[in-house]
Amino acid sequence: MREHDDLLERGIALLREPVVIDGGVNTRVMDAVARLPLPARPSRLHQAGTWLIHPRPIRVRPVVVLAAAAALAVAAVGLRDRAEPPAAPTVTAAARAGPAPVRFILVAPTATAVSLVGDFNDWIAAATPMEGDVAEGLWVVTVPLPPGRYRYAFLVDGATWVPDPNAPRTIDDDFGRPNSVLTIGGS
Amino acid sequence: MRAALLFAALVGASAMSARTAAAQEPRFTGRLSPAARSAVEAVLDSARQTGLPIEPLVDRALEGAAKGAADNLIVGAVRRLAADLGNASAALGLGASDDEIAAAASALRAGARAADLTALRERRPGRSVTVAAAVLTDLVALGVPPDTATAAVLAMADLADDAGYLAFRRNVERDVALGATPLAALTVGLAAEGTTDLGTRTPTRARKP
Repeated sequence: MREHDDLLERGIALLREPVVIDGGVNTRVMDAVARLPLPARPSRLHQAGTWLIHPRPIRVRPVVVLAAAAALAVAAVGLRDRAEPPAAPTVTAAARAGPAPVRFILVAPTATAVSLVGDFNDWIAAATPMEGDVAEGLWVVTVPLPPGRYRYAFLVDGATWVPDPNAPRTIDDDFGRPNSVLTIGGS
Repeated sequence: MRAALLFAALVGASAMSARTAAAQEPRFTGRLSPAARSAVEAVLDSARQTGLPIEPLVDRALEGAAKGAADNLIVGAVRRLAADLGNASAALGLGASDDEIAAAASALRAGARAADLTALRERRPGRSVTVAAAVLTDLVALGVPPDTATAAVLAMADLADDAGYLAFRRNVERDVALGATPLAALTVGLAAEGTTDLGTRTPTRARKP
């Protein structure tokens, strides 16, 4: 037991002796650290990708979600309304000052002959016959018309007056057979 | 002396005959009865003297002939149209083109008032009112009340060009075809044009043709 005490006391005495440190050790350590390679720093793009990929809870007020949905709906309706449906008769170049080709179309499956008759051809039935596709029942003619307002109708089989279903009717129907009206602008 | 008087009479008669022939509308030949033609020619002469456009009157007579209408219907239609053209011309004032007068006459028959056409003319100085008046008529034909159609056309008068008026009418026509009431379609169309104030107006009714 006594031997152990002596050994312990010698160890304590040894530890209590002051340690002498070489003055250049700090410099050598710092030089060694400076020579170590730097770790690669992630790019901003990589950081953003990491932020997007990692799942994280997001707290949003319900009213904000509803407002965003309403804004999306309004935008969708606005885009839809921009699409103009084709109107007939088709005015290819309504804004031109000169004559614009206007296509008149009538669906008359049982007709054997159809004419376009109006104030642009002095209401002469034979002046503007329409070309018919008997199988389709489709009758078509294209007429160059300068800007103006025109009254017209279709004459089916030389006897039946038919207004254009794709154009406004005239107000002033003096003869009991309604006409259609076409307006081509000039400005 | 007697020979000179006879010669003068012959010259005068031939001159009057030539004038009558020149005034007659060749497109009526073979299409109107002599009685109808005579009556319609008288309306045309009167219109010429007052500076009204002739072509709409000729067109109306030819339309009646093409549709096999009775003489009295043809003459009556031409006379009514001449009266409308006169009112339209007075409303638009000096310098109105034939197309403007014809379109304004249709607008009057649709229920617009002469004062409305005058206002339209004043609000579009230097610009044609043909398409504006035509769109007014078309809106009434689509079922829009005449006073509302007039107010809408006037509300757009400062800014809209012909293409704008036609696009407006096309949109109203489309919405009506899709099931909207004419008034609702017109209101939506005006909102799209950025116009909502139609003012306060006294209702009018379309005249019977």
